[in-house]
Amino acid sequence: MIRTENIHKYFGALHVLRGISLEVKRGDVLVIIGPSGSGKSTFLRCINLLVRPDEGKVFIDGVQVNRPEISPEWVREQVGMVFQSFNLFTHLTALENVTLAPIRVKKLPKAEAETKAQELLARVGLAEKAEAYPAQLSGGQQQRVAIARALAMDPKAMLFDEPTSALDPEYIREVLDVMTNLARDGMTMIVVTHEMGFASSVASRIVFMDTGLILEEGRPSDIFEHPKNERTRAFVSKILR
Amino acid sequence: MKPKRGYARERFVRSVETTLAILIIIGAVAFIYDILAGSRGLDIGYISANWLRYVRAVEINLSITTISFILGTGIGFLVGWVRTVRSPPIPKILRDFREAEKAGAARGKPALAATVIAAGLRHYVKRVADAYVEAIRGTPLFVQIIFVYTVITTFYPRLPGVSGEFLAGVVALTVNTGGYQGEIYRAGLQTVHTGQVEAARAMGLSRWGAMRLVVLPQALRLVIPPLTNEFIGLLKASALLYYISVLEITFLTKQETYVGHHFESFALITGIFLLITVTLSKVIQYFEVKYRIPGLGIQPTPG
Repeated sequence: MIRTENIHKYFGALHVLRGISLEVKRGDVLVIIGPSGSGKSTFLRCINLLVRPDEGKVFIDGVQVNRPEISPEWVREQVGMVFQSFNLFTHLTALENVTLAPIRVKKLPKAEAETKAQELLARVGLAEKAEAYPAQLSGGQQQRVAIARALAMDPKAMLFDEPTSALDPEYIREVLDVMTNLARDGMTMIVVTHEMGFASSVASRIVFMDTGLILEEGRPSDIFEHPKNERTRAFVSKILR
Repeated sequence: MKPKRGYARERFVRSVETTLAILIIIGAVAFIYDILAGSRGLDIGYISANWLRYVRAVEINLSITTISFILGTGIGFLVGWVRTVRSPPIPKILRDFREAEKAGAARGKPALAATVIAAGLRHYVKRVADAYVEAIRGTPLFVQIIFVYTVITTFYPRLPGVSGEFLAGVVALTVNTGGYQGEIYRAGLQTVHTGQVEAARAMGLSRWGAMRLVVLPQALRLVIPPLTNEFIGLLKASALLYYISVLEITFLTKQETYVGHHFESFALITGIFLLITVTLSKVIQYFEVKYRIPGLGIQPTPG
């Protein structure tokens, strides 16, 4: 479904990604953990080409997408993304946030897009908040709208960039529940998170990244209970405490 | 929650301040009226017979201001937009490339050349825009008006179809407001969070689509109050065109004072300006409140 080969990225002289290769199969949930500055977010952005890899290949459904012939807009239609800071469009209501891309990018008729958006908002438990502006919603509600917004494009996979890190503790649960349901429904997901409960119950695999490299990869039980790499062990013991 | 008491006190202080401000304004107006008319009183007959002439004259101010403001919006938007573009200096790009090359990234010479040329172009266009804004904001408008007038009358003494003064007025005000509006648009565009663009791009919108559907609708709402101020400021500044003999309202006022109608003409000109500026700002305020979106821009003040 999603495969990367030897991804490198430089920010000026900074070598942020130093050869990331991994594969995510259809329906898999891959969780990426690692200290801040390890390149997790940059790697996510390399998949939907918000950041262009300097070297290496990104494949989606077997097609190499980081090629000049392929428009990044097309790639981004295939892969939805949810951000740490929600990034809902401030000037649009929840419903308009969800319908914007389907209407403007997919050219869906407005009525059809709205019906679908209502369904999606209901799915994330916010059917009655369709007319609210982002500023009128709690952080947890905003993030759930953001998930609905990404789902509205019928993505083949979803990328989550620390979706609960900016939330007050009482709102984390509701967002994780939506994500868990999404995973149960068979969505292919790559999730950067430090929510270890979510990671161990939902992830099919966990990747530990540090200094732009994948240091360890395995099932949740392997990573959390028997980490092989010393730095993984140190990191896991810190966040599990 | 503790802010309850602080909030009540804040409201009390605010109401005292408002009352004080109103008292000061009333006092000042009375004082000025006393200086203006004093024992002499206003010649109501003159005002009722001549007010239409003043209205005709202020139409020239309004038309010059409006033309300049619209042209200036074009310039201002471009300048503001250019100034928001990120452009690292050329030496930094070259240095980054050399270090990346050393570290083993192979991006190729042609790609480097293209990046450097594009970055260089951006860099210098931006510098020109910076210089323009600094030059406009750093010199008196009055000097700019005289400068433009001198240039136009020296090099094009006879213009077909348009008076040199009028043209000089429009050009000077356009160039001036262009610089100031550039700053307004820059601030407006930069206030829209970069995450908004990233989210728009992540959903498959093009660069232009993100600009048109996400950044502009927010930025344009944010710039309406400062643009209203700018228009009012420009209208008031158009009075300076009296100096280059544009037949606008200040010119007429000055003329009328020579024939002895000092107080009446000043009452008329101040009255007309106040009527226009206050009406305009109230109308804009009405629309601002009507189309306000929660969480975007200035929020309504409580109480």
